[in-house]
Amino acid sequence: MENSTETTPLKTSVKQVHRPGELPGQKASPIEQNKKPILEIKGLTKNFNNFTAVNNVDLTIYEGEIFALLGSSGCGKSTLLRMLAGFEKPSDGHIILDGNDIVDLPPYKRTLNMMFQSYALFPYMTVGQNIAFGLKQEKMPRNEISKRVEKMLKLVHMEDYVDRRPYQLSGGQRQRVALARSLAKEPRLLLLDEPMGALDKKLREQMRLELVDIINSVGVTCLMVTHDQEEAMTMADRIAIMDRGEFVQIGGPREIYENPNCRFSAEFIGQVNMFDCILTKSDVKHSLIACNDFPRPIELLHDIDIADGMPISIAMRPEKVYISHDEPEEETNWCAGTVENIAYLGDISIYYVRLPSGKIITSTLPNVDRFNVGFPTWDDKVYLSWDPESCIALTF
Amino acid sequence: MSVFSANIVKKSSPKGHKPPPRFVPQEKNSFKERIIIFIPYLWMVLFFLIPFLIIFKISFSVTEIAIPPYSPLVTFEEGAMQIILHLENYTNIFLDPDGTYMRSYLKSIEVASISTLLCLIIGYPVAMALASCKSTTRNILFILIIMPSWTSFVVRIYAWMTILKKDGIINDILMSLGIIDEPIHMLQTDFAVYIGIVYCYLPYMVLPLFSSLMKVDYSLIEAAQDLGCRPIKTFFKALVPQTKSGIIAGSMLVFIPAIGEYVIPELLGGKDSILIGRILWQEFFNNRDWPLASAVAITMLSIMAIPIILFFKYQRKQGEL
Amino acid sequence: MLFNKFSKIALARFFTLALVLVFLYMPIMTLIVYSFNESKMVTVWTGFSLKWYEALLHNDAIINAVGISLLIGFMTAITAVIIGTIAAFVIVRIKKFTGETAFLLFITAPMILPEVITGLALLLLFVTLSDVIPVFSDRGIITIWIAHVTFCSAYATVVIRSRFVELDVSIEEAAMDLGAGPMKVFFVIILPAIMPAEVAAFLLSFTLSMDDLVIASFVAGPDSTTMPMLIFSSVRRGLSPEINALASVIVLVVSFFAFIFWLTTVRKQRRKERNRQLVAMAKSNENKII
Repeated sequence: MENSTETTPLKTSVKQVHRPGELPGQKASPIEQNKKPILEIKGLTKNFNNFTAVNNVDLTIYEGEIFALLGSSGCGKSTLLRMLAGFEKPSDGHIILDGNDIVDLPPYKRTLNMMFQSYALFPYMTVGQNIAFGLKQEKMPRNEISKRVEKMLKLVHMEDYVDRRPYQLSGGQRQRVALARSLAKEPRLLLLDEPMGALDKKLREQMRLELVDIINSVGVTCLMVTHDQEEAMTMADRIAIMDRGEFVQIGGPREIYENPNCRFSAEFIGQVNMFDCILTKSDVKHSLIACNDFPRPIELLHDIDIADGMPISIAMRPEKVYISHDEPEEETNWCAGTVENIAYLGDISIYYVRLPSGKIITSTLPNVDRFNVGFPTWDDKVYLSWDPESCIALTF
Repeated sequence: MSVFSANIVKKSSPKGHKPPPRFVPQEKNSFKERIIIFIPYLWMVLFFLIPFLIIFKISFSVTEIAIPPYSPLVTFEEGAMQIILHLENYTNIFLDPDGTYMRSYLKSIEVASISTLLCLIIGYPVAMALASCKSTTRNILFILIIMPSWTSFVVRIYAWMTILKKDGIINDILMSLGIIDEPIHMLQTDFAVYIGIVYCYLPYMVLPLFSSLMKVDYSLIEAAQDLGCRPIKTFFKALVPQTKSGIIAGSMLVFIPAIGEYVIPELLGGKDSILIGRILWQEFFNNRDWPLASAVAITMLSIMAIPIILFFKYQRKQGEL
Repeated sequence: MLFNKFSKIALARFFTLALVLVFLYMPIMTLIVYSFNESKMVTVWTGFSLKWYEALLHNDAIINAVGISLLIGFMTAITAVIIGTIAAFVIVRIKKFTGETAFLLFITAPMILPEVITGLALLLLFVTLSDVIPVFSDRGIITIWIAHVTFCSAYATVVIRSRFVELDVSIEEAAMDLGAGPMKVFFVIILPAIMPAEVAAFLLSFTLSMDDLVIASFVAGPDSTTMPMLIFSSVRRGLSPEINALASVIVLVVSFFAFIFWLTTVRKQRRKERNRQLVAMAKSNENKII
């Protein structure tokens, strides 16, 4: 049973090459950490008149983790979030928070809180009153409220702003107040709707890590929705890629990047070279794949559970494609082409190499390494090679 | 299972594995919502819809010396229910040999149309002038233009009476300047009615025009001028189309009520300014013929039904409703 | 060349506005001027006098009518604003319900229907219901009030709705998310935000009610003569200088309120400017920190 992916039934006879959690640099999955689930979504569906926004999804979120729903606009992630918050009524399914099904509860009775994309601060109240609002609804005694408000302001470093009004604050300050307000009631689950969406670029990069620090220091479980893959990869412990109302892949950032489970995931995160190939032969430790775009076969060190002669896709990340002026010695896993374009980005260069078949392969090279490979430049004839482990075989 | 196996595992087929989503009908409003809807709804049904049904019903009856002064529609005779529909009111209206009613309908439409046009011709430049002012002056001017409509309507018509009389101000000034020898007969004419209607309804035309002029994208005007369009052409091709919704809204707000105007033709108009609103009033108050008045009202409504529905549909399309 | 064009436009603008303002205010000014006329002949000036204002103060019929109009005006304004607020809320925030189109039609039709028709309709309603509901048989202040509310709430709905539509739903959702029930959300979040529109709707309904002649004529009773009805009947009989005085008083009162309204808008604008500067300062400070 797959540990980190939940929606994929698995039927192969592939022997394990890496153990889960052994992928260097990846945090152990929540189940391994013995965390208990805070939120369980079962069969959640939302139909509008003529289309399905969320299609029968299941998801479990564990205590203390930061979970990201990643997808482009229209994929259903915002609808899903709103159903969790209570602003949309699901057409079907269950939302179980701490063991209780909250599907029929109105938003003001749920023990989760949401930070809105536009922050939605109450314009006619001060910062302090904004934060205290939720506590007043709970009928908390007044001195406790002011203590909690103080604590929250300290958390987001806004102690001096308690009497300001929202229109007197800048975008970043409003975000902090919105965060403080949504944490004030110490909810079981914190929902973030495009948390960085309203900030400008510089502020965004700084706030990402700060936000994660604040959330981790409080220890609250967090579900965020975003379309920005960098944001998801930086901030989240686990990510679910969503497309057209369904989860495509669920896993940690590293796993999603290194082991996408389909073309969509591979192409969604980062850059990727995608090849349409045909499986020539597959043994227990060994597979040979013929690609239309270059003569030599691709060789993998594991077997593939489809019949010989069937089509297969091979994905390769550009940073794992090595570019060189020297012809490799191996029989497999390389091809030759001409450098058509180079994008110089300061720290890396992206080489666009055109193969004789017409296909363009991207290869990224840190600029400090250019010396080692002989400074390839425009119109050079170069060789592209890769390790067998760098290839990701996908059947769709 | 190995992590690698994730590479080649089939993504769980969305349509194959999972059961098809259940069809859920339109969400029902909650009970609380229904109460909230109910309150204004009830008021409107009670005090708006039902009255019109009553008018409709009474238009099929005849006057009687009774309280209320019309014959009942439904009677019981020998245990059987009879419904008597008198069509005399409608035959009176449509087949009257003098054609009084038909003529007055046509007259009302004519007066209303011309007044609407006049309001548009006068109102558009005013709205343009207002929209192009600085924001501080604009506020003051806006209030100044709207303020007269806050003072009593009847009083303002009365003011025009004093101005337009034979020995009123205009005639006095013109005669003392020697421009005319005899006072001009202005009161009790159609001319006075037009002045009255334009005077009272002008703000209703200016307001929608103004608000749609404020929303105009002036870069389109500049583009037209940049491409060589002369001013008049720019005006009609680049500016006016963008204010279409304001023009229509303003015109409807003037035209439809103007058809049924009573006070202005009564005070400022003459014997031949018989607009249909006056006829309704006279039938009701002077002749005490409620059924005929009702029939006049229903006929009036049918004339106006189409503009009203068009206005309503247009407002919905524009998102004003 | 540019200067020429500029001043041509400015000149045209000036003349248009000047002409319109003269056109609009000439009748009103005439009334006011002649209210100080000594002579009973309204258009023949004999001297300055305040005697018509005095006569106004002693004219019981007029005072009574003004009182009735004011009372009905206030009652109408309050009721129309309440109904208008509910109706606007329904239109903007509540998703489709059966009969929605009819509802919208009912709400907006009173605005454009001729008053004679609405007046006739309501009177016939009261007459028909007078057997069932005794109040309606004695037509008077109550019936005028109901009639006025019916057509004023149409205007109130439109005014309030236009402000409602500009509200940011996410603020209401945030309040609900933080534990506030729908009632709380309405009174604490929505109402303060639409208050300007509520005030505008109140003033509008009040004015419309005070001004209404036709509908009131249909549904009034023997003891409930409103101010417009009184003016109308005396004007029909002939010109009356006391009416001039009354008209001037009305204009004065309206101008006073218009002035106050203008003052508040000016003050609001100044405050907005100040806030904008504060935000700009805050933003530049933040950039410095980064």
